[in-house]
Amino acid sequence: MSTVNTSSDHELMTAVAGGDLHSMSEIYERRHKALFRFFFRLSGRQSPAEDLTHEVFLRMIRYRHTYQSGEMFEAWMYRIARNVFADHTKKHRLEIPAAEGQMEMVESSRPTPHDAAVKEQDLTLLRRALRELPPEKRELIVLSRFQGLSYEAMGRILGCESGTVKVRVFRAMKEMGQVFHDLRREKAS
Amino acid sequence: MMDPTCEQAKALMAAAWTPGELDEAHASWLRMHLTGCASCAEEMSLLGNMWQRLGDLPVPEPSPALRQRWEQTLQALTVPQYAQARPVPAAPSAWWRNFWPANPAWQMAIAALCLAVGLGAGFSMHRNDSERDEVARLREEVSSTKEMVALSLLQQQSAAERLRGVDYSTRMPSMEPQVVSALVHAVNLDANVNVRLAAIDALGKVTNNTRVLESFQEALPREDSPMVQAALIDYLVQAHDRNAVETIQNLVAKPDVNPTVRERATYAVHQLAQ
Repeated sequence: MSTVNTSSDHELMTAVAGGDLHSMSEIYERRHKALFRFFFRLSGRQSPAEDLTHEVFLRMIRYRHTYQSGEMFEAWMYRIARNVFADHTKKHRLEIPAAEGQMEMVESSRPTPHDAAVKEQDLTLLRRALRELPPEKRELIVLSRFQGLSYEAMGRILGCESGTVKVRVFRAMKEMGQVFHDLRREKAS
Repeated sequence: MMDPTCEQAKALMAAAWTPGELDEAHASWLRMHLTGCASCAEEMSLLGNMWQRLGDLPVPEPSPALRQRWEQTLQALTVPQYAQARPVPAAPSAWWRNFWPANPAWQMAIAALCLAVGLGAGFSMHRNDSERDEVARLREEVSSTKEMVALSLLQQQSAAERLRGVDYSTRMPSMEPQVVSALVHAVNLDANVNVRLAAIDALGKVTNNTRVLESFQEALPREDSPMVQAALIDYLVQAHDRNAVETIQNLVAKPDVNPTVRERATYAVHQLAQ
């Protein structure tokens, strides 16, 4: 029979920092999918996204002594994830994620409506528009739209006020909208 | 120049896209602003629609290999792999089964005899051996205290304390499996480069330990400090670990490896191949 661990992430990470590495197992259960999706949306590739996810957990163990009591676990984890991604792009010069041909698509499991083709085309354009954004703007959209983070949590991760985050997210969306419409026009012509 | 109310509206629009981010007072202010500002209303409609459609993008899933890899890593980090395997006691031989009587009365008699012989021998040897036993016991206690201190220091938050822990471990006449395990752990996971270097140095005493060598081979491709990479390579060469040749060759092939490390690694491959 499986038991549900009711400890908070903070309690678990505090235990890890105190030398109980087994607690990392529960943190992994709770967080690995979100981290994988974060890296996948940023890089557009399955294999690097998995490598980077693994690296985040290794770094959480390696830098467990830097985890402070009173700190928000989520913000600490995403700061590590951002550093991991920055190191990765520096090493592999992946400023721009996978090119269109290399971009790994994820099959949608949703039921397809009658205008599936149009919708699919729109989704492809959306994916391209997201990919063509500068990395820092892409990251803002990924964190706010896909990772389910509040603007306050994003402020803690990015080191700024939540009001600033909102304005930056709006600008990133506006730029993405511009790219999307350019791509659509290009496709139509 | 942009109207300051439009600038404020943009922050509120982003808040409106996310559930729970906009309170009623701000929502009401935004509704009023959008009624009177065609430009903001158009942006709200276009970008809000796009925000919604982003939610239709399929959700990527990690492969089962990721979990498998993590479980292996965690197991390697948590199981005291350097502990000696406890030998399984062998089944009593036929000779012993024949010799040992089945009757409990005889068994008790033999046990009482053994006890009497033991007590007699003990009393006669007591005077000569008591001092020697005490010294041995004290030595053992000092050694285990040092081990405990080293292990405790290696868990400390301060890098200086962990360095002291490594230093303590090098002062022990022999390195216990638990200490070896803690040092290997430090080489693999300590955040401080100096601690990792010192731990590699301390493990110089046990260059024939295959577990240590395997762990170093795993650590080498992951390591990001050129100094630690060089120390790991030197260790593997010193231990003459031919199994490490492929790992070192892979490091040489990496485009972003430090030139000095590459030179050292190339030399190491040459040395190990001899």
